[in-house]
Amino acid sequence: MIDPVTFGLWRGRLGFAAIITTLIFIALLPMGGEAGRLPGPDLMTCFVFVWMMRRPDYLPLWLLAGAMLLSDILLMRPFGLWAALVVLAAEILRARAVLMRELNFFMEWAVVSGLMLAMLLAYRFGFALTLLPQVSLGAALVQWLWSVIAYPAVVLFTGYVLALRKPSLGQVDAYGRRF
Amino acid sequence: MGRKPNSDIELAGPFRLIIVGVTVLALLALFVLWRVQGPRAETFRANITDRIAPALQWAAAPITWAANVAGDFHSYARLYEQNQQLRDELRQMKAWKEAALQLEQQNARLLDLNNVRLDPKLTYLTGVVLADSGSPFRQSVLINAGVRDGIRDGWATMDGIGLVGRIAGVGEQTARVMLLTDTNSRVPVTIQPSGQRAILSGDNSSLPPLDFIEDPSVIAAGDLVVSSGDGGIFPAGLVVGKVVLTEDKRLRVRLEAQMARLEFLRVLRSHELDPITSTGGLLALPPIQGPPAPTAADLGPATAVKAEGDEGASQ
Repeated sequence: MIDPVTFGLWRGRLGFAAIITTLIFIALLPMGGEAGRLPGPDLMTCFVFVWMMRRPDYLPLWLLAGAMLLSDILLMRPFGLWAALVVLAAEILRARAVLMRELNFFMEWAVVSGLMLAMLLAYRFGFALTLLPQVSLGAALVQWLWSVIAYPAVVLFTGYVLALRKPSLGQVDAYGRRF
Repeated sequence: MGRKPNSDIELAGPFRLIIVGVTVLALLALFVLWRVQGPRAETFRANITDRIAPALQWAAAPITWAANVAGDFHSYARLYEQNQQLRDELRQMKAWKEAALQLEQQNARLLDLNNVRLDPKLTYLTGVVLADSGSPFRQSVLINAGVRDGIRDGWATMDGIGLVGRIAGVGEQTARVMLLTDTNSRVPVTIQPSGQRAILSGDNSSLPPLDFIEDPSVIAAGDLVVSSGDGGIFPAGLVVGKVVLTEDKRLRVRLEAQMARLEFLRVLRSHELDPITSTGGLLALPPIQGPPAPTAADLGPATAVKAEGDEGASQ
């Protein structure tokens, strides 16, 4: 018999792994993606932030770092740079999990948008520092804007389809401690 | 503040901070390693991709099939229009076919008269596109032929009509084709009929620009762009596309290949290229020609003897 807390924990972790796998798979499908088209949202980063804002305990560091590194390798990005930025941003949120839990949605949206923009700029800075060719700032900002627009939809999806919500008052974790 | 004293222990302890710091630093170190050891890291990436490619193949099959059915249905809707269009084209093509046959015979006669030896015809093998690059900012595709099929890095890839890109990264069963539109792609081309040389450099747009043109004034929109074979990577004379002049006053190339829907790609077997093992050094100017350096004989007997003595010592 599995107790419901452990069940929820592993459901949350496996759910995250399944979503990242699906997103990588969809990105790799040979269905267009012609050069010169405007980029869509970076859904993977959106999901990471949704998980971190809702249930940071469902997204342990090893899972996050592993998933992001795998997506770096498979999606033709430089190894490690984007993964490092995502881990850094997510851990900044995790360290403030208590504060984040009390934000209303619009504040959460603003925090996530700001973090995504900072990550984008840091990513470009990393590229510039190592003299890598990079895309125009306009295209990168379009992707950021799409991610910001997509974030509420991702929140709704995880809330209603995957039932991932902020812990309610008095809920306990695996060690019986209250959040 | 709704802080519960015991809930923060595993959230923000110094131990946690160290673990996070080490992870981030390790990832950044990996990035630096990737930057320094580019070719080796890309080989590693190709091997990883090779592992997951078979899974991708069967999982993607139903989805691509559904997309194709949808596309076919769309074209079914304007069947009549397309039929008319095809009839028109067929009529024009018949005239061209006659002209081509005559030219071919004439060409054969002339070549025979001149005793010209042509390059042996390039052989090729065809691969099916398995996957995209997965990022809107990288333009490459994965095909289902790799080392076991004899594919080597650097070979030219076409889609039957025009040049598509080059092989950049081979695994055991898969190879990655870097498209001409990728920001890393640079291909030397010739512009017909003026014969101007240029570099086609991808910039992630659908119309890659021409760089380093000697005299842009002799190039007009509509000129044919073919690969020049400079640098010894690509065979010369592969059709790339047509020159267009865009609103930003740059000469760009409308690619002849159907980049929007790449399905079957033809990899041209080329000669064995030197494998790329390092990131390459700086291109420095050769030393300026001056008077020849003084030899031992010019400097006098003393140094010559010394040099001989050195040789003797080393032997």
